[in-house]
Amino acid sequence: MSAPTGPTALPEGLRARVLERSLGRRPAGRATPEPPEITPVEALGRAARSMTTLLGELTEDQWRRTALRGLDVQGLVGHLIGVESDLQRVLAGDAHPSILDHIGSTQPAAEGQAGRPGRATQDAWTEAVTESIRALAAADPQARITLHGARLSVSELCIARTFELWTHENDIRGALGLAATQPDASTLTLMTRLATDLLVRVVSRSGIAGQDRPLTLRLVLTGPGGGTWQLTSGEPAAAPASAFTTTAVGIVADAVQFCRLVANRTTPAALEAHVTGDPGAAEAVLRMATTLALD
Amino acid sequence: MEASDALLVARLAAGDDHALAEVYDACAASVYAVALRVVREVSAAQDVVQEVFVQLWTGPERYDAAAAPLRTYLMVLARSRALDAVRADARRAARQERHHRLSADAPPPPPDDEVAAREAARLVREAVRALPDDQRRLVELAYFQGNSYREAAAALGVPEGTAKSRLRAALASLERLLDHTLLESS
Repeated sequence: MSAPTGPTALPEGLRARVLERSLGRRPAGRATPEPPEITPVEALGRAARSMTTLLGELTEDQWRRTALRGLDVQGLVGHLIGVESDLQRVLAGDAHPSILDHIGSTQPAAEGQAGRPGRATQDAWTEAVTESIRALAAADPQARITLHGARLSVSELCIARTFELWTHENDIRGALGLAATQPDASTLTLMTRLATDLLVRVVSRSGIAGQDRPLTLRLVLTGPGGGTWQLTSGEPAAAPASAFTTTAVGIVADAVQFCRLVANRTTPAALEAHVTGDPGAAEAVLRMATTLALD
Repeated sequence: MEASDALLVARLAAGDDHALAEVYDACAASVYAVALRVVREVSAAQDVVQEVFVQLWTGPERYDAAAAPLRTYLMVLARSRALDAVRADARRAARQERHHRLSADAPPPPPDDEVAAREAARLVREAVRALPDDQRRLVELAYFQGNSYREAAAALGVPEGTAKSRLRAALASLERLLDHTLLESS
């Protein structure tokens, strides 16, 4: 949008007053309209119910379709049964080294489903995920546990698992030629918050390729569940954007597409992000987002 | 639809205050010009500009990028807010005039207020004269002679429902006529 030409001069100080009054009415960083707040356990429950609904509609033939990493739909749900088992062992205090490996530790459960009726696999997973949710709801939300090499609070783990169920549901939908789903705005809000928190931890720990100085990044995620965050490499936490700080790089992307990026289901090039500032630094940050592998 | 407008408003909805500053820099001069043309007073025009941008920031979802460019939307909003301010001033002036008429020892109103009130009254009388007969008669009975709409309906021999709908139509026509008149005069 270009500024119009015209003789009307704006009064001095009006800009500052307008911006100050606006931010006094609604702080920067938070999306509007704000969706109802839900707990991470509720978000996980919603993702589980959505997956259960999909699985309940599958024919035996559809259970055999190839879905991901050489696994058919049944094998992928078997992988989830393995994840539920690992999670419950970790929550019970069993920190066996094999639980460090997300794929390896769940492979027996994935392969063990072969030859069973799809309904039996569905029932086994539904029972397992119900038990996982019960155990997570009973745990201290701030307690930190390590599952598959990632150390997260119980609350963060619930949201990471919400990512996982949503992503695998859409893996199955993709294999069957069904339209992808997106989480509701309340769930998506938790997902984008976790993704940006984890991203800043990675950026803080590793720095940004090609940058020898701390870099301030403004990440704007649009649509329901979005928000605006300020990330500075070398600082330990993401913060909601504060008013009118200068930034070196700006990235604007759709919140759902960004969640697909951090779930490693799309690429930075396919994200259709609107970038301002140093494009190399923006690309490096988006590449780092794909390594979060929230799937 | 301008793609950049849709993106700007999506950023506003996401809480990106930089987007608000960008919209201000691009549109504030147009918004201020519209406001100033209507209210004719710098301080009041600034208030209108503030209201317009606060409304955009707190409710960006009300803007439909498919319906109009963002600048146009903000200018329409400014005009509407400015007319509200003018009407509020006119009502205030009328109240003051009534109050002064009733208070014998009250000091006379400032000359500017008196002029504004007289002008507002003149505009309203002209607008009422332009109404269709059945609506004009009802407005005179209900608003100039202090009757309720039931009494006005009885006086004209029409059902209460008819009187009510005619009054609604009359008020809508008056609003349109007054908006037009105020804009023309600005």
